Amino acid sequence: MEEKIELSGREQRKVLFRLLSYTKPHKKIIAWAFLLLLLTTIGDIILPILVATFIDDYLQPRRLEFQPLLMLGSTYMGIQIIKSILLFFQLVKFQEIALHIIQQLRIDVFSKVQALGLKYFDNTPAGSIVSRVTNDTEAIKDMFETVISTFIQSGFLLIGIFITMFILNVKLALLCVIIIPILLFVMVLYRKWSSRFYLDMRERLSQLNAKLSESLQGMSIIQVFRQEKRLRKEFGDINEQHYNAGMKNIKIDGLLLRPAIDLIYIVALIIVLSYFGITSFTHTIQIGVIYAFINYLDRFFEPVNQMMMRLSLYQQAIVAGSRVFKLLDEQELAPVQNEDQPLSITEGKIKFKNVSFSYDGKRDVLKNISFTANPGETVALVGHTGSGKSSIINLMMRFYEFERGDILIDGHSIRDFSKDELREKMGLVLQDPFLFYGTIKDNIRLHHSSMTDQRVEEAAKFVQADTFIERLDDGYNHKVVERGSTFSSGQRQLIAFARTIAANPKILVLDEATANIDTETEEAIQTALAKMRKGRTTIAIAHRLSTIQDAELILVLHKGEIVERGTHQELLAYRGLYHKLFLLQNGAVEPLEDVVN
Amino acid sequence: MKVFLDLGWFFKQEKKSYIVGVFLLLLVALLQLVPPKIIGVIADDINEGTLTFGLLVEWMFVLIAVGLAMYVLRYYWRIMIFGSAVKLSKILRKRLYHHFTNMSPAFYQKSRIGDLMAHATNDLSAIQQTAGSGILTLVDSLSTGGFVIIAMAFTISWKLTLICLIPMPFMALLTSWFGTMLHRSFYKAQEAFSSLNDKTQESIMGIKVIKTFGQEQEDIEDFRKQSEDVVQKNMLVAKIDSLYDPTISIIVGISFFLAIVFGGRYVLNDELTIGQLISFTTYLGLLVWPMLAFGWLFNIVERGRASYDRVSALLRENVEIIDLENALEVVPCGDIEYRLVEFTYPGESRPILKDIYFSLSRGETLGIVGKTGSGKTTLLKLLIREFEGYQGEILFGGKRLADYKLDNLREAVGYVPQDHFLFSADIAQNIAFSNPNATMEQIEQAARLANIHEDILQFTDGYHTIVGERGVSLSGGQKQRISIARALLMNPEVLILDDSLSAVDAKTEEAILSSLKQNREGKTTIITSHRLSAIQHANQILVLEEGRIIERGTHKDLMEADGWYKNMYLHQQLEELVELGGQ
Repeated sequence: MEEKIELSGREQRKVLFRLLSYTKPHKKIIAWAFLLLLLTTIGDIILPILVATFIDDYLQPRRLEFQPLLMLGSTYMGIQIIKSILLFFQLVKFQEIALHIIQQLRIDVFSKVQALGLKYFDNTPAGSIVSRVTNDTEAIKDMFETVISTFIQSGFLLIGIFITMFILNVKLALLCVIIIPILLFVMVLYRKWSSRFYLDMRERLSQLNAKLSESLQGMSIIQVFRQEKRLRKEFGDINEQHYNAGMKNIKIDGLLLRPAIDLIYIVALIIVLSYFGITSFTHTIQIGVIYAFINYLDRFFEPVNQMMMRLSLYQQAIVAGSRVFKLLDEQELAPVQNEDQPLSITEGKIKFKNVSFSYDGKRDVLKNISFTANPGETVALVGHTGSGKSSIINLMMRFYEFERGDILIDGHSIRDFSKDELREKMGLVLQDPFLFYGTIKDNIRLHHSSMTDQRVEEAAKFVQADTFIERLDDGYNHKVVERGSTFSSGQRQLIAFARTIAANPKILVLDEATANIDTETEEAIQTALAKMRKGRTTIAIAHRLSTIQDAELILVLHKGEIVERGTHQELLAYRGLYHKLFLLQNGAVEPLEDVVN
Repeated sequence: MKVFLDLGWFFKQEKKSYIVGVFLLLLVALLQLVPPKIIGVIADDINEGTLTFGLLVEWMFVLIAVGLAMYVLRYYWRIMIFGSAVKLSKILRKRLYHHFTNMSPAFYQKSRIGDLMAHATNDLSAIQQTAGSGILTLVDSLSTGGFVIIAMAFTISWKLTLICLIPMPFMALLTSWFGTMLHRSFYKAQEAFSSLNDKTQESIMGIKVIKTFGQEQEDIEDFRKQSEDVVQKNMLVAKIDSLYDPTISIIVGISFFLAIVFGGRYVLNDELTIGQLISFTTYLGLLVWPMLAFGWLFNIVERGRASYDRVSALLRENVEIIDLENALEVVPCGDIEYRLVEFTYPGESRPILKDIYFSLSRGETLGIVGKTGSGKTTLLKLLIREFEGYQGEILFGGKRLADYKLDNLREAVGYVPQDHFLFSADIAQNIAFSNPNATMEQIEQAARLANIHEDILQFTDGYHTIVGERGVSLSGGQKQRISIARALLMNPEVLILDDSLSAVDAKTEEAILSSLKQNREGKTTIITSHRLSAIQHANQILVLEEGRIIERGTHKDLMEADGWYKNMYLHQQLEELVELGGQ
């Protein structure tokens, strides 16, 4: 699950600035948004002045001239409408910026994930990587969308209002300035308390959900061991704590949020009214100015409320941001190829030279592996689980970097071929053929957009997948759902074959499926395999020994070492490990008895 | 609004909080009328030069008193109403959990855990919203709205009030409409987001394929497209969301304009004072919130009703396995006898077990073997009454299983399941799962029997090492042995090991089996296994195939019979040889 992250103030600021740096490419649209914001703010500020003018210049002196009043009225409505329209665009623009920033951040994270070596995936649960790419970025989106834009918008309005108040009446504006420290005080207090209580509630909620999810998963255990009552109580306790945390939040919000801001509004109102009242004893007062001030006060406090309510989102976004950046800074990259030399694979001769390898740097899973596969030949790897077969393929496919020994293709180190060259000339069929969401055609073609439908169908025909595909509704356009679980494992395997054949590799790497395959498909698979291997250098992991009896070289692995090597007949005659493996799969009872005893 | 009726039981139960809360809300709504009034009076006094210092102080006093009173009242109604809403979600959550613990495995087979979680989280929060914000918006929009309109009409001018109210209903209509649209587009945006989530998940699971075909760039491009889709769908949400403020601004603007234009005329006709006009415009400002709230109310209630219906439906699901009326309250012991004609899983047509007849005397060990899917686990699950509805009967100590109370039946059985599930707690707590009050000696004793004690001591925190989803990762064999220790701590009448030695090596298996033999003298043990070495010492062995018993007897009998068992046995011996490198 998620580790808890405690960030110091400095780290928080660092994360914030790094997040803000994502706004750089959007300078132009941001400039637009700010222009719109400026205009709407000006509109907000002018409107009360117009009304004040009406009151002071026309209503109070009872001057009723039609022309100027019409002017005033239509200006008022005009500004009101234009302002509202601009407001719409301004709001949309700010959200658009946020969405694009998040999209870029997501693409960056996703690209980073693609660049990571398989080692990283071995050590990190898939769920948490997915969470970095989507959920954490979503939390950051909330910050950009609501926190930052609310703060900018409210800030603009507040500054605008203060400037106007100063223009209208310097003394009164100065008096009003004293509410700012009060507001800031409440804000700081709220942030301090709420961040604690809010995080506490989030924590309780995630405990609650974790408990629930765990209970649902382990319900049969709970019931068999008759612990329903105890767990109900445990859940009840967490539920109660969550309730208490929720109540605390309601109290804090009640004490410091809207009710408090409304009280400060009343205080501001008292200041303004007293000022006008006291001044009126010695001077004449323009009623319009009173109206304008009171109107500004009304407008002043809503943004403040908005700002306060968003504060808790900020904290979450920063934590999410720090997790995302940790992934972006990850150093466990995929092995690097030497891209300078334009070497190409022509023959397809493969040579392993004293290769040793360890995943964790402690225990060697491959020890001194050496063998040669000549162009067009098949080398089969056999051995029980954990003997090192898959590791050979992992190195061959450059999923992991190795330090000891070398792998040569056509006499050159595998590192000296460009990545594209390797991917193009080497085809791997995985044991668990992974099918993607999309159609059958998409799955054979993958992202090779230039590949024609004809080539896709030829590939399918070549591996004899065409018969079952054509029987499906929509044939090649049949939808693949749930990672292909609607197909049998044999059918999935055939699709994966077609995928590899469509790419027409020079070297074939096969990791044969172990899962149960029905006999009909089994035959199709065998024929397909034989056809695929023709003319290609093949390295194959074979679980069914029957499939590799014609291999030019069979390597028997045990604990990372090659313990036997030779052809099928040679190895049978040797009566060693291979012979026993063979008996296991094909043996009748009598020879088994002989060997066991 | 039906949901408010459905929630009637809760409102009744919390009637004190709700009555007080609503009353406070009404008071606040009344008090809110005071400040605009004072503004108007003072403006008039200033205008007419009738303001005195004493009067000013008096008014300011009233203002601060009203302000403080509202602060306190607002604080308390929140506690009353929002607090009750939180309480409602607590109660419902508790009920759901209680209900979940009563449901049998058949229920869990047909429901996805993700869905159940969603009910307990999203739906509950929507219901909480209804009981909190729903009530607030209902009461507040009616009361504040009503009071403000009354104040405007009766203390200022009913004509002006009518004129200025014309645009207001549009606001409620529009915001309600926006709310529906927003909800719909938000749903689409969520869908796009979740398909982006799926895409990411898929790419990570299929990372090998992607790397094999060198399609990283293409896949990133695909991701970019999908994330673009997320942006597009969210833009729609953003656009609808951005409609609120301008709409409010225009409609309020029109109302204001009407107020000033017509109000101005009334001032000139001396029907109104300037102060009253200013009060009036401030009142108009107070109307914005109730109108908005009215629009929201419909959306909140709509969502709350859908969620409440779902949660109620879930709570109405019948509990399938229940105690008979006069079930025995004794812990069963004695011989076990299966006379099973046929059992089919609910919702399936093909029987999973057929013609299972055998008896097992107290203190004996039964071994069950067979391929995956042959019905071994099902046979055991019937014994602990996870499923019912079979033809025939299963007797325990001479009585049918259903004659005992479920609780008592399960007290007699220690079950070690195939999928060794551990809870997020420390090892000691996991072993003592059936009895949290077990002493450390008992726990260690069970761990020793399961041959895991030494392993546990190797961990940094020993018995206090946290395991489970959020703890250290253990090997499959370690988890299995902890599960065994968990069952052994009960010292049950019947111990069931459901293929629970599959991940331990041959030597450990041997050790566990021999310690079981010593420790469970006189008690019944049932073991299913793929590996025949685990059951070869059993008093009786059943070989299952497609739900039927095809061979039975002791190891010796079966080896002589020259059938499936013997073939399998030799195979496994050879496999062991291969694993050791053929030596």
